[in-house]
Amino acid sequence: MRTLFKSTLFLLLMLPMSFFAQNTVTGTVSESATGLPIPGANVIVQGTTNGTVTDFDGNYSISNVAEGDILTFSYLGFATKEITYSGQSTIDILLDEDSATLEEVVLIGYGATSEQDATGAVEKISADQFNQGAVVSPEQLIAGKSAGVQITPGGGAPGQGGTIRIRGGSSLSASNDPLIVVDGVPLDQRGVAGSRNALNSINPNEIEDFTVLKDAAATSIYGSRASNGVILITTKKGKRDTPFQFSYDVKISAGSINDKVDVLNAEEFRSLINDTPGTNPSLLGDSDTDWQDEIYETSLGAIHNLTATQGIGDFYYRLNFNHTAENGVLTGDYYERNAFNVALNQDLFDNKLKLTLTSKNSLDRNKFADQGAIGAAVAFDPTQSVLDDTLPFGGYFEFNRVSGGNIVQQNLATRNPVALLDLYEDDNQTRRSITNLNAEYKFHFLPELKAVVNAGFDYAEARGGTFRPLIAAANTTNINQFSNYENINRNLLLDTYLNYKTDVDFLNTTEVDLTAGHSYQEFYSFSNVTGTEQDQIFDFPRDINRNALESYFARASFDINDKYLISGSIRADGSSRVAPQNRWGYFPAASVGWKLHNEDFLSASNTVSELKLRGGYGETGNYEIGRNYGYLGLYTPSQGGARYQFGSTFVPTLRPEEYDEDLKWESLINYNAGIDFGFFSNRLSGSVDAYYRETEDLIATVPVPAGANLSDQLLTNVGTTVSRGIEVGLSGDIARSEDFNWTLNYNISFQDLEITKLTLGDDPNFFIPQGGISGGVGNNIQLWKEGYDPTTFFVFRQVYNEQGQPIEGAYVDVNGDNQITEADKQPYKKATPDYYMGLTNTMNYKNLDFSFTFRGSFGNYIYNNTQSANGFIEAGTNTPSNYYSNLNSNVLETGFVNSQFFSDYYLQAADFVKLDNISVGYTVPGEKVDFRASLTATNVLVITDYEGLDPEVFGGIDNNFYPRSRRFVLGLNIAF
Amino acid sequence: MFNKLKSTFLVLFGLAVLWSCESELDLEPEDNRETSESAFEDPEAYKQFLAKLYAGFAISGQDGPAGDPDLSGLDEGFSQYMRLYWKLQELTTDEAVIGWNDGTIKDLHNQNWTSGNEFIRTMYSRVMYQIAQSNEYLRQTEPSVLDGRGVDAATQDQIAVYRAEARFLRALSYWHALDLYGNPPFVTEEDAVGAFLPEQISSNELFDYIESELLAIEGELIDAGANEYGRADKAAAWMLLSKLYLNAEKYTGTGRYNEVVTYTDKVIDANYSLVDDYQKLFLADNNSNGAQNEIIFPITFDGINTQAYGGMTFIIHAAVGGEMDPDDFGINGGWAGLRTTSALVNKFLDNEDDAIEEVEDERAIFFTEGQSKEIEDISSFTDGYAVAKYKNIDTNGNAGSDPTGDFPDTDFPMFRLADAYLMYAEAVLRGGGGSEADALAYINELRERAYGNSDNNISSSDLSLNFILAERARELYWEAHRRTDLIRFGQFSDGGVWPFKGGVPQGTTTESFRDLMPIPASDLGVNTNLTQNPGY
Repeated sequence: MRTLFKSTLFLLLMLPMSFFAQNTVTGTVSESATGLPIPGANVIVQGTTNGTVTDFDGNYSISNVAEGDILTFSYLGFATKEITYSGQSTIDILLDEDSATLEEVVLIGYGATSEQDATGAVEKISADQFNQGAVVSPEQLIAGKSAGVQITPGGGAPGQGGTIRIRGGSSLSASNDPLIVVDGVPLDQRGVAGSRNALNSINPNEIEDFTVLKDAAATSIYGSRASNGVILITTKKGKRDTPFQFSYDVKISAGSINDKVDVLNAEEFRSLINDTPGTNPSLLGDSDTDWQDEIYETSLGAIHNLTATQGIGDFYYRLNFNHTAENGVLTGDYYERNAFNVALNQDLFDNKLKLTLTSKNSLDRNKFADQGAIGAAVAFDPTQSVLDDTLPFGGYFEFNRVSGGNIVQQNLATRNPVALLDLYEDDNQTRRSITNLNAEYKFHFLPELKAVVNAGFDYAEARGGTFRPLIAAANTTNINQFSNYENINRNLLLDTYLNYKTDVDFLNTTEVDLTAGHSYQEFYSFSNVTGTEQDQIFDFPRDINRNALESYFARASFDINDKYLISGSIRADGSSRVAPQNRWGYFPAASVGWKLHNEDFLSASNTVSELKLRGGYGETGNYEIGRNYGYLGLYTPSQGGARYQFGSTFVPTLRPEEYDEDLKWESLINYNAGIDFGFFSNRLSGSVDAYYRETEDLIATVPVPAGANLSDQLLTNVGTTVSRGIEVGLSGDIARSEDFNWTLNYNISFQDLEITKLTLGDDPNFFIPQGGISGGVGNNIQLWKEGYDPTTFFVFRQVYNEQGQPIEGAYVDVNGDNQITEADKQPYKKATPDYYMGLTNTMNYKNLDFSFTFRGSFGNYIYNNTQSANGFIEAGTNTPSNYYSNLNSNVLETGFVNSQFFSDYYLQAADFVKLDNISVGYTVPGEKVDFRASLTATNVLVITDYEGLDPEVFGGIDNNFYPRSRRFVLGLNIAF
Repeated sequence: MFNKLKSTFLVLFGLAVLWSCESELDLEPEDNRETSESAFEDPEAYKQFLAKLYAGFAISGQDGPAGDPDLSGLDEGFSQYMRLYWKLQELTTDEAVIGWNDGTIKDLHNQNWTSGNEFIRTMYSRVMYQIAQSNEYLRQTEPSVLDGRGVDAATQDQIAVYRAEARFLRALSYWHALDLYGNPPFVTEEDAVGAFLPEQISSNELFDYIESELLAIEGELIDAGANEYGRADKAAAWMLLSKLYLNAEKYTGTGRYNEVVTYTDKVIDANYSLVDDYQKLFLADNNSNGAQNEIIFPITFDGINTQAYGGMTFIIHAAVGGEMDPDDFGINGGWAGLRTTSALVNKFLDNEDDAIEEVEDERAIFFTEGQSKEIEDISSFTDGYAVAKYKNIDTNGNAGSDPTGDFPDTDFPMFRLADAYLMYAEAVLRGGGGSEADALAYINELRERAYGNSDNNISSSDLSLNFILAERARELYWEAHRRTDLIRFGQFSDGGVWPFKGGVPQGTTTESFRDLMPIPASDLGVNTNLTQNPGY
């Protein structure tokens, strides 16, 4: 491996650089079919760095051309032409459309196919369809772009990652995140400790396309990690024979919150306390503070990209440097990325050997604000002032008492939100490199046979620390509180496979494509923490985890007569996490396709340009349970204050852990049927997919029969879920002309997920509480139960009076026993949508372009925990010591005195339509320099009835939500 | 050059294809976690594992105070053994109410709990967890297993005592299971660890099992008072036997009061003595201020070494609120939850209108400033007198060892001599033989300590069962005995009324099936061998 790497580097140093005295050639490059000029076509002197690009009228001029030089003319979608220079001063060139290259190539995992020949539910989303704006997290590029893919942005923290669900996920306790493969390297599904988003080290600017594999026919080649779908990310590379190009791109953005949680102001609060019997108004202050105004600020951000690319004969490269910096709307929050991407390609031996080195290196810096300030700002008494010099809390006001003659903080009181932000540091630096070397070799003696080696690693090193000084009221100990940590995540990959592709003379012509290979991947993580606990400093035990996955895989695809497609694949995965007796899982898949448009009765049609039927079956697995050695009985020594007194000594303890010797793969069976169509030369195109999935041997943390194991809950294989859905994607070119183009993309997904079995027993009323809420300890608002979606809420049905006001404590007595007990709670509504959609508009007139993206979600509900936790009078008055807490204004509507956490009053419809982004841009093409400017607004408009800050909260429990900012982005791009 | 590269590539490719890594799929922990083979290489492990069994009553996991919980079904602090046991034994009675909004916590005092109640569920899980851990201990310390590991004879002798203590702790938890749930699942060291469905055991059979276990280990345990502080000895087993026999009529239908007299006698004859000042039993230094001579079996806590958000941390913090000064309790602040009802307060009063502050009984340790005696709103801390019995200060008024004031040093007196006196007297009254004169003398010993003189001693005519029940409340309130006592006297559900019983301010009786807690719905759902207790 090392030899290969060194050789590659050596080759790079041997870059051919030759200079001769020469002439100049000019000319025009045009389409052969229409005669229209082709702007942007490449003109290169083969084997040199000498080249140019045609201008807007297809004209070019290239100097320093010597007799005998070969000029290559190339443009994407057209066949490349080569002309030998023999002293002509003008060379006009007509390029022919290349049907072979026109057909879009899509990756399918350990290989590629054409869009026409794909038999699975596969969708490619290219850069021109990406969301506009100052996008920091890569997944945001494709939010709303693909049917069946739901991307819920995280909170509004800078660089915060979102949640990706393909077809809604299928598991309970195992991960529901898709497998993400970057340039052939599957990333660790557990993410990177200390980082806001495991994908942030991939610069969005450098992403060429995303390929989403949705059904098992497509994903099962990834075996045990494929149940939640697979996203293949391909980054941009250099191109053969292209002149040197340098570009600089900058996006400057500003954002601010557009709404605040509705709480009582000082005047309302003061009168409420005065009016509540048994309160002591002297505990109130005489200020008027809007705590939310105190903690939020305007966020500013900038994203710079410097890119250089060139193709010098068969060596081509792309280099990119990215600097991204953004402060959050919550004061003190900050994200910075410094990324250096390298893509080097070298083709050797008449292109028989292709070497690709891609390396994504980043240094992320984070400052994490204490997000506890968000909840504190909602609850802190608005009659108190921010500052108070007379108190010993760093100049801030805090609720206090006198102890032994000293002023100390009240123990469980809400802390001053501004002090939480100011008297706290939480810094992090993450270094990461995702690097891989890919070698593809076509055998001389058998060019149909190709050997591929893909060796990669993903190494992340995070260091950081938190610090809270003694003076801060939130520090209740007697020393400065700190914690310093170091995390390493490492993932090594070696894939090798053979691919054999040929035409055989069977039923006219059959294209045969066979792949077989082996893969090994090892994941290692290490973490070490030194910090304080109470008044002591501890060097906490190191955490080391290692797991490995070994796989064999094979695929065979046949294209019979360019009409009938048959494909089958199998993967065998062996995981170190599974007990030896269950270690190997086998994941087969089969799919068929019928290209109707190639049948005689359609091939001549002017209306139908494409019509293909697809059907597939596949099995996949899921073992992303977040822990290793789950099948081994382990012993854990105790740490910290977990010793027991025997006589005068304190003996540390040793605990045997629960385990399931038979823990095995979660397996998913998937059926998919689809149709792809294109009408009027594909001006209207799209696809419809329907799927049915069954997850068996579901891995879930469930109550274990009491006494049978060494804990109350056990991660084990239990139960099944069934999900089904329909996805429609449509694309229409409303206008297609030289000056004016207008495309609309629309997708809609209907989905339904249901737990069909959850226990070894047969009790139909069995359920497992889920979804912890704020307010009280151990309160859950959701449940897992047979027959219900896993995000179903579990609530009392509120009774209302004639005026439509909720009557405090009055609930429907479901079981009719004349009292309201827990037995009267009912499963009701759910957090996941029934259907969701995306609409993208792109339009350009000459050099002006305009685009926007709408996204909508319907049938989803949110439990408004912000209202339920602070929306009753005792939440403000019945506090553990001498202070009062502010209330949600909702209390004025309900008048609730006591907590009514489980009332479905707080369950609110959260259907929404969002205008995610709207962008207008203008391109100024120049002789040597292209310039582009754009203006984008993101998170522009939210249409919803939901009463909270934002109807889009993953999991459906709205509490302490970090508001997303509305941003305005100015983008400038200049390319030489 | 290129040819060399090509051949290098081919060789590498060949190697990569052939490289099989299957052996690298057998991975074991590389950090401080151990497999069962490596864990016991150090003989200290046997003592540490035993310490885990004891710590199971005091702390909630492997990272004190919190961070690596034993149970995952409920918040870690809430899932602690003594906290749950205390809640089920006290909040369900006239001795305590709690003001919080945590799930179904108020259903305990309202006596309208269902089989879905998470406190009842988690207590059940905790008890069965403790039993499963003890079983694992017994499996790992089988003499044949020890021989296999080459453990020397001296260590094996030591481990034999540990095993007896492990069986005592298991019997203690099984007694809690019997008392609370009646018919729990039954597992012993004969069962393997897995996901099998344990069989349900009847109260009668479980009674016999606990009795036989305690009798079997009686000879193996260290003599009364001779073991290290914190560890169980013969007297602990006698106390547990006495408790078991005293409630036998409830468990099996047959009274066993003679045995109560036998075993409380053994305790009383052993070298225990009442501490001079009642308050000392509940202070930070109750392991050294003389109370240790009265406490037969403590659950120990320590501000530095034995930290949890349950146990004494809960009992002390949750009882402080309102006008109470946290400094007086050696803590950094109250959690403002626990108070008592007027029913307990009145037990100290000759006339209900008397002021509790005037009462000479030093056991009446209430905080009344800013508190109302009667409760209007359970959620409001100032409704109902606060109980100031437990404190994290020592005899001299100094706070415990934790400088942050979070975690107390105060040990929980699970079994103490005063309880043995009261059980003896009750068994005598219930016809268990013994000496009525001794019974009277024991009771008066307690009263003399309480009043500091003999003015309030009782005569034999005062000594009745009703008196015993009230005296048990006065002596042992908030020590997790009340529910069991009320059930034994028929005063828990369909008899007996106190404020907010049944969820109404004046209190009302409930149905008698509530003498047993329900088998949690979650376990019924996964274990088809189980049948729900009647009424639920």
